[in-house]
Amino acid sequence: MLLEVRDLHVEFHTRDGVVKAVNGVSYGVEAGETLAVLGESGSGKSVTAQAVMGILDMPPGRITRGKVVFRGRDLLGLREDERRRVRGAEMAMIFQDALSSLNPVLTVGDQLGEMFTVHRGMSRRDARAKAVELMDRVRIPAAWERVRQYPHQFSGGMRQRIMIAMALALEPALIIADEPTTALDVTVQAQVMELLAELRREYRMGLVLITHDLGVVADVADRIAVMYAGRIVESAPVHDIYKAPAHPYTRGLLDSIPRLDHKGRELYAIKGLPPHLTHVPPGCAFHPRCPLARDVCRTQEPPLYEVSPTRGSACHFWTECLDG
Amino acid sequence: MAEPAETVLEAGNLVKHYPLTRGVVLRKQVGAVKAVDGVDFRLGRGETLGIVGESGCGKSTVAKMLVNLERPTAGSIRYKGEDITRLSGRALKAVRRNIQMVFQDPYTSLNPRMTVGDIVGEPYDIHPEVAPKGDRRRRVQELLDVVGLNPEHINRYPHQFSGGQRQRIGIARGLALRPEVIVADEPVSALDVSVQAQVINLMDRLQKEFDLAYVFIAHDLSIVRHISDRVGVMYLGRIVETGTDTEIYDHPTHPYTQALLSAVPVPDPEARERRERIILSGDVPSPTNVPSGCRFRTRCWKARERCAREVPVLAVPEPFAADGGPAAHPSACHFAAEKQVVP
Repeated sequence: MLLEVRDLHVEFHTRDGVVKAVNGVSYGVEAGETLAVLGESGSGKSVTAQAVMGILDMPPGRITRGKVVFRGRDLLGLREDERRRVRGAEMAMIFQDALSSLNPVLTVGDQLGEMFTVHRGMSRRDARAKAVELMDRVRIPAAWERVRQYPHQFSGGMRQRIMIAMALALEPALIIADEPTTALDVTVQAQVMELLAELRREYRMGLVLITHDLGVVADVADRIAVMYAGRIVESAPVHDIYKAPAHPYTRGLLDSIPRLDHKGRELYAIKGLPPHLTHVPPGCAFHPRCPLARDVCRTQEPPLYEVSPTRGSACHFWTECLDG
Repeated sequence: MAEPAETVLEAGNLVKHYPLTRGVVLRKQVGAVKAVDGVDFRLGRGETLGIVGESGCGKSTVAKMLVNLERPTAGSIRYKGEDITRLSGRALKAVRRNIQMVFQDPYTSLNPRMTVGDIVGEPYDIHPEVAPKGDRRRRVQELLDVVGLNPEHINRYPHQFSGGQRQRIGIARGLALRPEVIVADEPVSALDVSVQAQVINLMDRLQKEFDLAYVFIAHDLSIVRHISDRVGVMYLGRIVETGTDTEIYDHPTHPYTQALLSAVPVPDPEARERRERIILSGDVPSPTNVPSGCRFRTRCWKARERCAREVPVLAVPEPFAADGGPAAHPSACHFAAEKQVVP
């Protein structure tokens, strides 16, 4: 296993109380595999990723429990300088908003080159050549010219390519992409996802793709972990989950997608709202919105039941859900 | 097919150019951002027209012109036959009552210092003839109830509501004056997936209840299909293809529509291998510098010499005109051809 997150707990201490953003998340990614982490805002999907990358703001954030094992080492036990060597060189992150993630006063060439001067001790001239090579690699036209330009001179899709180039620079074993195409138009999104998939195959990288888009997940993921209120509620190979979800939340999400044969009829809607993380409901966090909820759901938090050797569901009544 | 409904709103060759000027003392115009460059459509009573397109295609500018937040550079907007771009003063105010807007971002489109009651009731200050003063509170509570909010929350502030609830507040405000047309610009794109369906269902229900006509602007093609009777696809300031939802989604003939549909991720992993994906090269050209001839030709795989020379008109392409089948709908392409893209 390339990356293994085990029973991770993250809290934030705020004026309104303790926000339990991540409550016992476990997942694993193999080399060459794409894991999609699916969730809505506030589900804890990005916070988990930040904890894995070691870029969580602490304080107010605090990792209260858990392990992040990457290539056999527990990253949470490393010193900050050791951690920094892992970050960028062995695992890299792509963010949603490329414009605010790039430095506006440095040329893209300087920012890409910095990866090589800092981590690899290259000369500036060699680093510049590397930057051009990388920009070519992510198919930015006229890279030798554009390497001197600033981030604002690029379109949204091109900026996201620069982010990808930067993440790939040191050929990391793992890439975490947090909503990499959410800010892009569909035709550009297709270009960027295609590029990312191709590069991942070529370098045999593990990819953790954080998204809320069930369409993107179906397109690229091997496995999927669905998060709700800071927990993983279902984890399964991608084909299984779309065929028959084993958690009512996953089922609700899939059913609420407008489909052809539903035209003119009411869409299925999950009732209610996601919980506030300062007041997560007791028992199963999804029970106030769940059509299958019974008394036991209000009191007992469901463990991740084994549905099959490759599949888990945190629902007391997963068999019912699976049968539809 | 049902009888076409009475036309409530009609746009004719709608144009919006923003001038680009140079010089401070001697300002002169050096060019123009052609945000909208000749858009036609008609909207029937109780009908939904979906407008799809990517960022920068001009769809939001169209929305703003329809509710008179922007004045068109040229063209007409007719509400029940009357050109509202030529109205002013009292006559304009009377017409505007009937065309209301719901905005994309429920976080910035509600004044944080006003209570929900004030926000939803504000239209009555501008149009006091709709609701007498003593009756307003009751009316606002009724509206809150209609959109599925608790009428007792009338004294709360926007920050006390979730995103989906705020969008309901925006919809209640849009309904306050009993309009006939609602222009909704990306009304659900800022919401979580599980909440989007709730708001779409609400809009559907309100349409039937109040016989509303919607101009529904969005980039999410599956939502637009779900809610629309007819769909217009915009590219760089123009509608390139228009028709019923089946015509557009199952029988697209314009290459841009085909590329757009093929690029949408389908929530079905089985379709991954089966689908043919058209990946367009490059980016949308700048609206300050629109390509000659067909504006899509710089990214089109079918482009030939004729496309640079001749502007294609939005009309039923000749090869399909005779058969009258689902491909016989307006498409602005010299080489329009059917292509099945959605599995």
